[in-house]
Order: sequence, then C-alpha cells, then structure tokens
Amino acid sequence: MKQLMHFKVNGKNYDLAVEPNRTLLEVLTEEIGLTGTKMGCNEGDCGACTVIVDSRAVCSCLILAIEAQNITIETIEGLASAGQLHPLQQAFIDCGAIQCGYCTPGMIMAAKALLDKNPDPTETDSRRALQGNLCRCTGYVKIVEAIMTAREVMKGSSSKKKL
Amino acid sequence: MANLSVVGKSVPRVDALTKATGAANFPSDFRVPRMLHGKIVRSPYAHARIVSIDTLAAERLPGVEVITTALNTPPIPLAIGFCDKHIFPPDLIVRYVGDAVAALAAETEDIAEEAASLIKIEYEEFPAVFDVNQAFEKNPPAIIHPHLAEYHLRSEQVGNKMMRDLERPNVSRHFKIRKGDVDKGFAEADLIVEDRYYTPKLQHCQIEPSASVAWFEPDGTLKIKASAQSPHLAKLVICHAFNLSPAKVIIDSPYIGGSFGGKGRPTTDPYAVLLSMKAHGKPVRVGLTREEHFHCANSRIATTTYIKDGVKKDGTIVSRQLRILVDTGGYGDGAMILVRNCAFGAVGLYNIANFKFDSYGVYTNTAPTTAFRGYGSPEITWAIENQMDVIAEKLGMDPLELRRRNLLRDGDRDVCGQRVVSMGAEKCLDKIRHWIEWDKKPHQEEGPWRRGKGIALGTKFTTAGYQSSAVVKVQPDGSIEVRHSSNEIGEGINTVAAQIAAESFGVSIDRIRVLGGDTSICPYGHVSASSRETFHIGNAILIACSEAKKDLFEMAAPKLGVLAQSLDIKDRKVFVKGQPEKSIEVTKLFSPSGLGYAPGKCEIIGKCTFEIPAIPEDPGTGQSERIAVYYMYGAEAVEVAVDTETGEVRILKNAGCFDGGTPINPKMCEGQIEGGMTMAFGAALYEQQLYGQKGELLNASFHDYKIPTIEDVPDNASMVALLEPVPQPDGPFGAKGIGEVCSIPAPPAISNAIYNAVGVRIKELPITGEKIVKALNKKGNNSKA
Repeated sequence: MKQLMHFKVNGKNYDLAVEPNRTLLEVLTEEIGLTGTKMGCNEGDCGACTVIVDSRAVCSCLILAIEAQNITIETIEGLASAGQLHPLQQAFIDCGAIQCGYCTPGMIMAAKALLDKNPDPTETDSRRALQGNLCRCTGYVKIVEAIMTAREVMKGSSSKKKL
Repeated sequence: MANLSVVGKSVPRVDALTKATGAANFPSDFRVPRMLHGKIVRSPYAHARIVSIDTLAAERLPGVEVITTALNTPPIPLAIGFCDKHIFPPDLIVRYVGDAVAALAAETEDIAEEAASLIKIEYEEFPAVFDVNQAFEKNPPAIIHPHLAEYHLRSEQVGNKMMRDLERPNVSRHFKIRKGDVDKGFAEADLIVEDRYYTPKLQHCQIEPSASVAWFEPDGTLKIKASAQSPHLAKLVICHAFNLSPAKVIIDSPYIGGSFGGKGRPTTDPYAVLLSMKAHGKPVRVGLTREEHFHCANSRIATTTYIKDGVKKDGTIVSRQLRILVDTGGYGDGAMILVRNCAFGAVGLYNIANFKFDSYGVYTNTAPTTAFRGYGSPEITWAIENQMDVIAEKLGMDPLELRRRNLLRDGDRDVCGQRVVSMGAEKCLDKIRHWIEWDKKPHQEEGPWRRGKGIALGTKFTTAGYQSSAVVKVQPDGSIEVRHSSNEIGEGINTVAAQIAAESFGVSIDRIRVLGGDTSICPYGHVSASSRETFHIGNAILIACSEAKKDLFEMAAPKLGVLAQSLDIKDRKVFVKGQPEKSIEVTKLFSPSGLGYAPGKCEIIGKCTFEIPAIPEDPGTGQSERIAVYYMYGAEAVEVAVDTETGEVRILKNAGCFDGGTPINPKMCEGQIEGGMTMAFGAALYEQQLYGQKGELLNASFHDYKIPTIEDVPDNASMVALLEPVPQPDGPFGAKGIGEVCSIPAPPAISNAIYNAVGVRIKELPITGEKIVKALNKKGNNSKA
C-alpha cells in the first residue's frame, strides 16, 4: 500500500504517495520526473544512478525511497544554478569527457561529492572516488582530465572569494 | 587542408550540454501515461521442446493485461534476409538458456514479473551442444536448426551466395579466400609455425540497457521509442515482421546510451510491438534487466582460429593458412555477415603470396551473437599478431622488423585483390616505437613483479555497398538544418555532421542544427556501423550542401549581376569570389522580410544519398577489386608488469597510434581511441561469458563479469592516444573512420608484453592470472626436467 513520503530534492520539497518497496531511483525518475539519473544495472554495480544523499555519493538503486526521506538529495538537474553550469559540467563538456552520455550524470555527481569533501584531490584520489562508476565509451582519460580541470577552476574561484 | 575554420578543430560535442545537464532523453528513460510493462518469459533449458504452456494462474492475477505465447503466436520473423530467429520459435524448440517462449504486459513491472513466474511451461529436454568443435562435427551431439537448408537468404545482406557445408549440419555458412598455392608456399618455406588461438563470447556492456516503448496511434501508425543502433534497419525488421506499411511505422532513437554493435538488431522492439498490438495499441514498455542483457541481448562471437604460416629465413611470410570456427550461438542471424567479414581482418595488413582462408559459422546452444566493435577483426588479429611475435622469436628477428618487412604498401594488391591506398600502418608503428622506447629494456625491480613490452598492429575495413543520406536545408536567417540517416549512439556523428555543414557554408557551428535517429523526418540510410559514418554521412552532407548552395547562388546571381558559378558563401552572405564586398545577405533572399520562403524555390533544400558500390567477390576465391571502401590502420605499444606469484597483470603504459584519415575532430578521435583501447583491455585480461554444464550463463552481472573501471587503466600520462592522419583521397576533408580499429591491437600487444615479461604465451583469451600461473608452473617443471 502506498504511503505518504516527503523528499528534499535539489532544494525543493516533494510530498508523494509511494509504495514502500520503491527505490530512490524509481521515485526520482518515475514519480518526480528527474530522468537525468540513469538506471544501468539496478544492482549497485555500475554507478549510473549515482546521486548525492546527505553529502555522500550513493547508488540510488540501492536505497529504498522510504530511507531517503527528509535528507538532502542532490541530482544532476540541481547542479547548474541561475543558468550557470557547475564547473564539473563545463569541464566534462570542454575536455571531451562525454560520449554516449549515459554514465555522465552519475560520473559528475560522484566527482562533485569528491570535490565537496576534498577540494584538492589528486588523480589517484579521483580514480578511487569514481571506481564504482562504469563507463564503456571513454576509457576514463578525459573524465579524469575534466575532474582535474574543474578542481583548478573551483580552487581559483574559491581563492577569489577569499580575497 | 589549409584555411579550414571548423573542420579539423576539437570543438565541443554538440550534444555535450544536453548530456551534462541530465536533459538528454534516452529510450530507457522514456515513459508515457497509461503505459503497460512488458516481460519476456524465457527458457531455463539450452535445448528443449515446449510441450505445454499453462497461463491460467498468470491471467487471473489482477493487473495483467495480455499474455502471448509460442503456442498461440504465428511465426514472426526477426530478420529480413537469412532468418533463423523468430519472436518465439515456431517449431517450439528453444536453442539457448534465455530463448523467448512467452511475453506478457501488466500495469506495473512488479505485476509483470509475478505473472511471468506464474506461467507454467513443460519442456522435453534435448541433448545440447556447447563446444564449437563438437558442434562442427559431421555427427554432432545435437542438430540445432534441423531445417537450416530452408532458411531464406537475401543476397545483398550476406555479401554473395552463401555457401553451406552440407556434411556438417550445424554449419550455417562457409566463406573462402584463395590466393596462390599455400602448399607450394609451405614447401618453399624455411620455417613452419602452426598454432590455435581462441577468443570467448563477450558482452557489449553498454551502460544503457536496451528498452523500447511501442504504441499505436488511433490511425494505426506504430510509434516506437527504441534503443536502436540503426533506426532505419530496425524499422525494416519491424515492417517485415508484422507486415506493416513503412508509411505507418515511426522509430525514434535520438540518443542511445552506447551500442558497439549490440543494439544493431532489435531485441526489445518486436516484443513491445507484439504486446501493444494485443493490448489494442496501448503503449507497452519492454526493457531488459542487466541480467537479461548478459543472457539474451546478443553477444560477441567466440572464435577458434587455426593458423599455419610458412616463413623464409629473412622473415618473408610466403604462405598463410587460416581456418576459423565462428561460434554464433543458438541463433546466428546477426553474426552471419560476420562469418564472411571476419576474413577481412586477415587481409588488410600483410603482403602474402599464398593465402588460404576458411571460416565456418557454427551453431551452439549458447547465447545468440551479433556484431561487436570490429566485426571479427579483433578475433582474427588476436591470432595473427600473437603468431607474428612467435615467428619473430623463432627467426631471432625484432618483431617490429618482421611486421615492417611484410606490410602492404600503397599500390599493392591485398590478398583479396583490392588495391591498397592511404596505408598508415608503418607510420603508426614508427610513432609507438618511439613512444615506448622499444630499444630500451624495461626496468626490473626486486620481488615477484616482472616487466615487459609488447606491440601489435591492427586493421579494420569499412564495408562497401552501403548507403547514407543527408538532407540539408537553408533557414531564412542563414542557419542550416542537417537531417542525416544515422543516429547519435555516442560516436559523435551529430558533431561531425555539424562541423562539415558549418565548414561548407562558412558559418559557426552554433548556426547548425542536426537531426538524426527519427525515421519519420530523417532520410533512409544503412547501418550506423562499420566505422562508416564520418565518411559516408560526411560525403552525403558535403554534396547536399553543394546542392543547396547551388539554389542559393542561382537566386543571388541576378541580384549581384554575376553568374551563379562565380559565387561563394560565408558568414551568411553570398558574395562574388575575389570581391567579398559584392555580397548579399542570405536573409534578403527570403520573403516576406527574410522569414518565410525563397521566391521561386520555396524551400532551399539539398539532398544526397552516398555510396561506394561494392564489387561482389568471387565465391570460390573471395577475390574482388572492391570489398572495402577503405581500411583503417593502427599500432599499439604496451608495457605491463606481471606478478609471477599470482599472475596478476598491470598495464603500466599504453599508447595507441591510429590512422583514420584526416580527423574532423581530433579530440573526439582521441576519445574513441582511449575508449577502444580500454574496452580491449577488458577483452585481453578478464572479460568472457562463462557457461555452466547446462549452458547456463554463470556471470550475468557487472559484479561477476568485470569490465575495466577507472582504476584499471594507466594514469593519464601513461595512457596515450596518437593520431597518424593519412588523408583518404575520397573522404570528406580526407577523413575515414576510427571507432573500431582502435579496439583491435590491444589484446595481442598485451599478450606479447606478458611473454616479454615472463616468457609464457596464453593463447586463449582472456589472459587471467590463473592461466599465467599455470603456464609458469608448467614452464618451471619443464625447465627442471
């Protein structure tokens, strides 16, 4: 039987009637209509459904929606603000880190969780953080390059803010 | 190529923004109101006859809308030419674990799944055959397609008259190449090297699983949102399967989340259509689970290659004989052309006077097969490029030198009789030789790890005789709309199309709008495959642009008081060549007020269908002046570390250099190369479909079927994509293709590097740690004895 649940996604509040066995991925894509989060395996192996829940990158296919109530959820759709792309999105575009694009939202969210926590990751740190995100197109070279590029852009803008 | 402003530049992909923001809609995301959820019921047996199907309990489940089974569905063919596969087996015989026997649609996925579990099916189990060598026998343990001789052929699909081996009931096709006299060649040789190599079945592992939503509009028009690598081909198959008019079928596949050959033939569309038909046209979604993808969504062929070479002391290969058993699984329709085309992976690199090639398509009771990035060339190259290193060692020659000595050169005829042009392999070899510091031995450290270097070459053909189309429209503001016959599966065709059109019209790329993937608005064309899109669609766009410009110039000529031939266009102005100040804005050629139509012409449209026709080969010898449009070439160098205690292999450094003609977008070509090489690391070291004793797939998840992760590739400084552009004379701005050749040389290069490191050669892919340890132990025992 459906239950009334409350979600906080990309700063917006949603009250929804949801079956208790629905995953967060299903609620995001089918109930709220945020289809940027992708289903690749439904088993937590591929990372295409990665979203940020309470500052942590997680596979939204492995979380029941009922567990994701009242915590901050960030998806790819919430990344750009006021028409301005997030530096990671811009870097993925500029570095050629996108091919078919199906893994891209998950990759960017996993990378954002990393940069939120560690503003100065090494290439090795980035690889460690994205080890659960599979890409079959790119060979990961330009994805790593994009994260390193975004790191520099974000370091630049945060030091400007300090000044 | 002087003075190009958009072509040859690494502009960002035109689809990157929509993908980076999550806005790109993929078929698997697609949902419509009132949509039903389909489920395919599959056989648990590898070879059996359906005795009865009881759907009563499933029908009673609330929310179940339609159920259709092998017992009450007429034969619906899933291929146009050679057809061994139907929506359900009409003879009620299942041929692999996962064969479809029934399908149903329900209100929710959960109900559909429960209903599927309630369908009771009784089978009579038959003996099955999983081993390709057994299946190949004259008296095999099982005959998988007893009515094979009656299956229809369509000549243009299979290249030429398909030859059967009538003595071997599981052989669907036998393809031959003959040149010179191999036995005479072996008699003249100083050295004979003979061996057997194996490549297993692989899964494409596109991150987007296949999904389709199909429904009928009230006027009977069928619409399908489909995971189709080639929407026009998918449409042909659907029209043929359900006897529908092409005017009433629309397939839309705007963005596809990777394909690599795997979505080339419809896997989910036919079931969605069948269920929608039964449900009075309601929308039905059929999406494969990841597990189903591994089981049933067509895999790469497995190959067993017997190779025999006759070589002179100076390294000249005088004779080569290849015999290949192609395991096409329970259904080989998707692999049938492969049985022929894998041959061209063996002919494009080396100049060999005497050559004999036989490939056989062989049915087994395993997953059906289809194209997989390289179309047989990676499998053949695995044997040849290992063999080249074996020969070099036996002769005491540098393996690079052996290859160089035998390479084809521009102007030569390859072993199939086609003239070689724009041959870049030697230049690629030189570049990677330099990069890997070939003459320097790898640094060895204390402990169990040993380092080694290896190289290999690769080549891939693009099949002749396939068409691509483009329609180019000039908008009243001078912007250009391009509609092409392919679709964006990740390869970047929309960006290539935009760059070429922008260059032709002298506008910036943001003035170009590209449409592909929708059969109702895009012109017909052949498959998005074979590394053919940049060349074919690029040429079609260039010609279509010229046609449209001709119309514009004819309209502008009287206004400028010159002949149309003396006009050119740039920055949305038509101008007199050599007198750029004498010009008229494109928008002034339209009325009213530069918004509506072009007086006297209405719309300014250019169109073109482009093809390089094939010359069918002689069926007895495989000889033809033109089988391929062109060949692409490349070389890869790798340095590995091998743990002599565990057999673990680490790729420390890797560089691939590839000749795909002059790149339209160098960064996108690099991206293809990096991705192709990485995919091949998986094939080299760990990927394979593992079957149990009953033909059940044992590793049907990303957990058990490992593909390369971001931690499995060398760091960015040690993972290098190099381009060696040799312009293709008839290519658009000198371009050929790049998508497949880059995934070919890595496995033999890695194998050669492992041999260089620890002195063992694993001839059956993948090169697992277990195999290395076993080989090392055997070697140790032998040397002790």
